[in-house]
Amino acid sequence: MNRFAYASPATVTEAAAATGLVAEAMVTFDESAVLKAGGIDLLDLLKLELLTPSVVVNLRAIKGLDAITQDAAGNVAIGAMATLSQVAEHPLVRGSYPALATAIAGAAGPQLRNVATLGGNLLQRPHCWYLRSPAHHCLRKGGGHCFAIHGENQYHAIFDNHACAIVHPSTAATALVALNAEVELHDAEGATRRLPLEDFFVGPDDDIQRENALRPREVLTAIHLRKPASGTRMAHLRQGEKAGFDWPLADVAVVLAIGPDGVCREASVVLGAAAPVPHRARAAEQALQGRHPGEAAAGDAARAALRGATPLSLNAYKLALFETLVRRAILAALA
Amino acid sequence: MTATRTEIFSAGIVEAGLGTVTREIPAGEPPPWPPNAELTWIGKDVPRLNGRDKVTGATRYTVDVRLPGMLHARFLRCPLPSAELRKLDTAAATALDGARAVIALARPGDRLRYAGQPVAAVAALSPGVAAEALAAIDAEFRPLPFVVDMDEARAPDAPLVYDEASAPKGNPSGFPAAPGLPVVGNVRGPAVVRRGDPAQGFAAADIVVEGEYRTQVQTHSCLEPHAIVADWRADGLTVYMSTQFTSGVRQELAALFGLPLNRVRVVVDGMGGGFGSKSQLGVYGRTAVELSRLAGLPVRLALDRHEEQIDAGNRPGTFQRMRLGAKRDGTLTALAIESHGTAGVALGAGIGFFAERIYTCPNFETLQHDVFVNAGPGCAMRGPGNTPGAYGLEQAIDTLSERLGLDPLALRDRIDPSKARREERRIGAERIGWSRRHKPGADPGAVKRGMGVAQSLWMSNVQTNVACEVRVLRDGSVEALSSVQDIGTGIGTVMAQVVAEVLGLRPGDITVRIGDTEFPPGGPSYGSRTTASITPPLRTAATRVLAELGREAARMLNAAPEELEAREGRIRVKSDPGRSLAFRDAAALLRTDRISAVESRADDYPGFRRRMPDAAMAHEDLGGVQFAEVAVDTETGAIRVERVVAVHDCGRPINRLLLESQVQGGVLMGVSYALLERRVMDRRTGLMVNADLEHYKLAGVHDTPEIEVVILENLQGNSATDAYGIAEPANIATAPAIANAVYNAIGVRLTSLPMTPDVVLAALGKTGRS
Amino acid sequence: MTRPEMAGPGKTAITLAVNGTSRQLELEPRTTLAEALRNTLGLTGTKIACNRGACSACTVWLNGQPVLSCMTLAIDAAGQEITTIEGLAHGEALHPVQDAFIEHDAMQCGFCTPGMVMSCAALLERNPHPDAEAVRDAIAGHYCRCGTYPHVVAATLAAAERKP
Repeated sequence: MNRFAYASPATVTEAAAATGLVAEAMVTFDESAVLKAGGIDLLDLLKLELLTPSVVVNLRAIKGLDAITQDAAGNVAIGAMATLSQVAEHPLVRGSYPALATAIAGAAGPQLRNVATLGGNLLQRPHCWYLRSPAHHCLRKGGGHCFAIHGENQYHAIFDNHACAIVHPSTAATALVALNAEVELHDAEGATRRLPLEDFFVGPDDDIQRENALRPREVLTAIHLRKPASGTRMAHLRQGEKAGFDWPLADVAVVLAIGPDGVCREASVVLGAAAPVPHRARAAEQALQGRHPGEAAAGDAARAALRGATPLSLNAYKLALFETLVRRAILAALA
Repeated sequence: MTATRTEIFSAGIVEAGLGTVTREIPAGEPPPWPPNAELTWIGKDVPRLNGRDKVTGATRYTVDVRLPGMLHARFLRCPLPSAELRKLDTAAATALDGARAVIALARPGDRLRYAGQPVAAVAALSPGVAAEALAAIDAEFRPLPFVVDMDEARAPDAPLVYDEASAPKGNPSGFPAAPGLPVVGNVRGPAVVRRGDPAQGFAAADIVVEGEYRTQVQTHSCLEPHAIVADWRADGLTVYMSTQFTSGVRQELAALFGLPLNRVRVVVDGMGGGFGSKSQLGVYGRTAVELSRLAGLPVRLALDRHEEQIDAGNRPGTFQRMRLGAKRDGTLTALAIESHGTAGVALGAGIGFFAERIYTCPNFETLQHDVFVNAGPGCAMRGPGNTPGAYGLEQAIDTLSERLGLDPLALRDRIDPSKARREERRIGAERIGWSRRHKPGADPGAVKRGMGVAQSLWMSNVQTNVACEVRVLRDGSVEALSSVQDIGTGIGTVMAQVVAEVLGLRPGDITVRIGDTEFPPGGPSYGSRTTASITPPLRTAATRVLAELGREAARMLNAAPEELEAREGRIRVKSDPGRSLAFRDAAALLRTDRISAVESRADDYPGFRRRMPDAAMAHEDLGGVQFAEVAVDTETGAIRVERVVAVHDCGRPINRLLLESQVQGGVLMGVSYALLERRVMDRRTGLMVNADLEHYKLAGVHDTPEIEVVILENLQGNSATDAYGIAEPANIATAPAIANAVYNAIGVRLTSLPMTPDVVLAALGKTGRS
Repeated sequence: MTRPEMAGPGKTAITLAVNGTSRQLELEPRTTLAEALRNTLGLTGTKIACNRGACSACTVWLNGQPVLSCMTLAIDAAGQEITTIEGLAHGEALHPVQDAFIEHDAMQCGFCTPGMVMSCAALLERNPHPDAEAVRDAIAGHYCRCGTYPHVVAATLAAAERKP
């Protein structure tokens, strides 16, 4: 780690102003000040000296950023500084958004979940082993090419992988995109904006060096979830190489709005560890909408979910794996 | 001619019925021990005596050692897989404020052969200054062609890792170790072992089974990194080192630095894992001592995790071609194996002697080759050679049994001469419920269960260059001393049990002082030999000090010394236990403050099968049979090992609780090897891309099966304790048992490790990848 | 707009409450809690093995919650109650988890043991009667290369039995 100064502002506005920069997701690796939430991913990047900031701006002294609240309409807001443990164990989350609770409870281990925040989790950098290797100057770090595309790509993307084959590392994001969550962003002038999480993430075709649309002097402060419509069913499934404490090879979140007639009104099917951003499988969603979901519809949706995939030399297995997980997640949501 | 006497020993497997064996033994040896059931401490679950220190954080590991004035050292390493060192200028580093010593480990013009190879080292006042000093070294590397993939390295036009003159000539700890083998391209060998006439054997076979098996490179991944604190002083050198062999490191240091042995001291208290990788001084050890010598101050050198994963040893990867010929009744007529393996830039990537020794087969041949690649040097790792070797052969045997229509256990009953394993198969089959085993792939549904078995074989090693000392002090305190190090097996507790058994005390009454070359040479903690080497001389030494104490006590008790026994903290007359003295009171009768006996390891009573300098092999190999039950999700490719039954023998078990721990550890490492671990080298950059513990995956608690451990009491009348080892056998059988279980589950054989979901799905034809 | 006060990048005064004692330290902000405990305070019971949050060997408690000290800046731990393995026992009386670890031989080389003990003890403080799966979840992030997991689970369940 390089030497850096440390600031602990008391307000979000101050924090936003303290740095011209984005939070733990960096525009580039050599900016001079960074925001720190839980600090887990930040410390990893600092230790690898992929980040060498002159100032680390701590967000933890800001009060109220970890609140989990429900408004009168039943919508839930999760403060960006709520730890993964707090989110996964919160009755509002477990009650209304069990797929999110499952996705988070399966992430990392309890010691990390006690510190890592939901905001930081969404903003963490990819765990591509080339990106995290100081010896590989890859495209995302300003280098000439993506090492994964013709290299060791068994854990990499099967969609949108022609320029850079990272996968988005957050399983919480998989669930939150499926839940049509929105993020709240706060800037140095005190203004806020909200945008769908799905639009917040940035793919390599839009910008090869960033994974989200956070602007300079902006802080992610909250994640908003709409009250689920009645008849909403959901599930999140993951498969890693290890049975616990491992990055998923594949994870899938499914949210289904089932009408009183048993017909699926709305469907969200999102694939994690599949693409540089959480991958919404629109064809799978269409395969479910307007149908009585069951084994047959789930199978159709699962096959549709993989349409258009472009697996690399070592990750074609993910097709079969995702097909299974999508089918099982749909059935699990219905169960 | 040494005087001998004749003794009758209990012999045989206690669980299967005991007999006796008559031995001529040296007159100074203690009398035979009865089976464990008749002993007080031997064979019992004694919790480890240093447990309190371990659970309170008080144990001092090498990385915890802090000496006054200690410097911090770091390596400059080659960033490329193959390079010529063009320039190495350390002047600026040397001049840096706070830098105390800088040494070059390579010269301009030198060829560097793997990414991570040490090039220079610095010692400085703090880790931060050391890092700055490294950055101040002006080094230039000219990239050279490289190859990191074994198959590519075997191609005729592959870049050469060595030319013939520079290739390593032989490696006494490696397999195959034979010196003087030819080197063609990157391939060295074959090392040939042949008996009978394999061609004739295959001609005589009713059935021939062929198979190809591939194993990955596994890293030791010790949680405590390789570390040393070297303290060079005018009056001698002391090193604190995370080592498996204090007295071996002392030998190396004395020879290397031209010091008399008595001026070199090697110390280790806590030792955070070794698994074979901390057996030698190594470049890091040598470098730290040299830096300390130059700086005149203590130097700490501890590898960071990245260094630990790329340059601290690894288990070589292998490719094995196997051919088995058999008669219809299962009798083997021929076994031929050709293997290629890679230990990176080092030798020792063979498949061991597993196939050579485990089954009766008159016609046998192995051709083992080392393939050089531009990667960090391999070294011994828990069951070196035999672990990959068993993965191949035990699957081939499983295939043969199916082709013959024989149960895998029945086939082994026919071809396996080991009595211990026969009993282990019987017990294990019962425990796992072998009769429930179905035909391959017979389970309906997406998740298919299966059961498999595989066997283990390792030599019963004994270090003959071993001695220990037992002291009794006049206040009744007792010490057992040895330079032996506790790698985590709890050898100190085992020592206390032996001394306590002899002296009639409790293990907690014995102060065990180990991990220091100031004490008698304790031998290495590798090769599953520590208990076998150290407990017999320890018992003999304890018997001698007791005899001395007994002479004093006998006078007091008006009895002849041979009428006395030591039991329950007292020295008493056997025929009249009421006449007794507390051990402490007997000690108070001593003429001097302290009496002591030093004994060295005697030969096994029936001699040894093979002798080497400082070491030997007992006649009977170690066995071990493991059964695995798995569930394979054929739609995700995920394998879950649900249960393992591990049945093992180690001669006379001394501490079943600690043995159970070791066997669980061997099984766990085997599960991890079978399902998860793999060094991933990028073929285009020549760099290891998972040199951390995030992407190099080890089994965690959720990957842990239910493990049932059974340990036989296999008495042989071979030594004063009759004890042998278990660490390596516990690891060897696990991966093939799981592989055979997976085959039984899905009816498709996986022939490469690790068996990750992508491999399973590919084997099931679900990926379009062959 | 006010700029927040800066500490560092050089050494700055940091007060840590470790095992019930307040300690005044001079540390650079980049110092991790694991480094501060081990190198500055000499509390070497806390181990660093992967140094990247992948093995949990460095687990300590912050306000009673198990966290990874290698992924925590010391300056972030200021104002929180830090408990390390050295502070778990009450004098001679070990924590029940420590006693059970010894009895069940839930250690081999012992390098992961302090972290394991901290995680298992934290579990019992929060959930006095966990089932085996809860114990496994509590140590899911721990690596033990020697393979002590079965004995760790058994020991923790036994310690829970013993707790009133």
